[in-house]
Amino acid sequence: MPGARLAPSGSKLTGHVPPAWQLPVVSVVRDAEAQLLPDVGAIVTCKVCSINSRFAKVHILYVGSTPLKSAFRGTIRREDIRATERDKVEVYKSFRPGDIVLAKVISLGDAQSNYLLSTAENELGVVVAHGEAGARLVPISWCEMQCPRTHTKEFRKVARVQPQFLQT
Amino acid sequence: AYWVDSQQKRYVPVKGDPIIGIVTAKAGDIFKVDVGGSEQASLSYLAFEGATKRNRPNVQVGDLVYGQFIVANKDMEPEMVCIDSSGRANGMGIIGHEGLLFKVSLGLIRKLLAPNCEIIQELGQLYPFEIVLGMNGRIWVKAKTVQQTLIVANILEACEHMTSEQRKQALAKLSES
Repeated sequence: MPGARLAPSGSKLTGHVPPAWQLPVVSVVRDAEAQLLPDVGAIVTCKVCSINSRFAKVHILYVGSTPLKSAFRGTIRREDIRATERDKVEVYKSFRPGDIVLAKVISLGDAQSNYLLSTAENELGVVVAHGEAGARLVPISWCEMQCPRTHTKEFRKVARVQPQFLQT
Repeated sequence: AYWVDSQQKRYVPVKGDPIIGIVTAKAGDIFKVDVGGSEQASLSYLAFEGATKRNRPNVQVGDLVYGQFIVANKDMEPEMVCIDSSGRANGMGIIGHEGLLFKVSLGLIRKLLAPNCEIIQELGQLYPFEIVLGMNGRIWVKAKTVQQTLIVANILEACEHMTSEQRKQALAKLSES
C-alpha cells in the first residue's frame, strides 16, 4: 500500500525475506498533481511573446483545457503558419506580440530547443488579439480583424473556432 | 491626411523613410546599422545595386550608408535596403569617406526636405557642396575644402534657431569675406 513501511513495526530487520505476497508496494510521488506535458499532435493555447521575420516565439499556457503550472516555450516557424502559400506568408501579418494563439505541437525539439508548433489548419491561429488602440479585435475573415472603436483593420491569421466553443 | 508636427530629436523608424546609417557590425549575410533608433537595423548584403552572392559590396564597419526602410514597426527589428523597388540604387548606397556627418533635430530635416527650400538654395550660391539628408536627423555634407564644409555644417545647425533674415545676413557676411 502506498505509505506502508518496509518492515512491519515490532519486527526485527534480519536477513529473512518475507514471501512476495507480504511485500509492501512502494511508489514515488513527485508533486501533488501530475504535470501534463504537451505531446506531438496536442492542441495547445499559447501567447506570442516576440516575433521575427522568420518565426514567432510563444509561451505555451494550456494543453487542451488544462492550464500548465509553468509556461513552456514554443516556436512557430514562418512556413508552419499557413497551409497554403507557405512562402509568401509574413509573420507580422499573422501574429503580433500579446496575441493568444491555438496551435498544434508538431515536434518536441531536442534538449535545448523549444517545442515546434504549427497553425496550418483552419481551426488554428489567433483567438484573442488586441489592436494598436488597445481594444479587443473582432475577427472579420480568416486573415483580418477589426477594432470596434477605431474601425481600423489589422492582419492576423484568425482561427475558425468551432461554434460549440464560442460563448456569446 | 492629417499629421501632427512636433519637435523631437529621437528618431523612430518608419517604413519608406530615407535615412543615413552607420555600419556597426558584419554578421554573415547582413550588416548591423545604427540608425539612431532604439534598435539597430539590419541591411542585407544583397540589397545594393548590382550585388550578387559572388559580387559582394565593399562595405566595412564604420561606413556610412544611405538607404530606406522596408520593415519598420514596433514589434520587429527594422530592416533597410539601399535599392528601390525596381532594383536600382536611385542615389542610395555607400557614402564616400570624405565629408562630415552631423546630427540635427527632425523638424529641421523635414523643413530642409520640403520642396523649394530656400536654405539649401542660398547655401548653394555661397559654396558648391554635396549634401545627403537622413530623416533620422543626420546630415552629410562635403564641400571643396574642409573649411567650407565646416562653414556649411555650422550654418545648417544654426538654421534651427535663426529666422530667415538672420540667415540672409549671416550668408551675406560670409560671401563678403
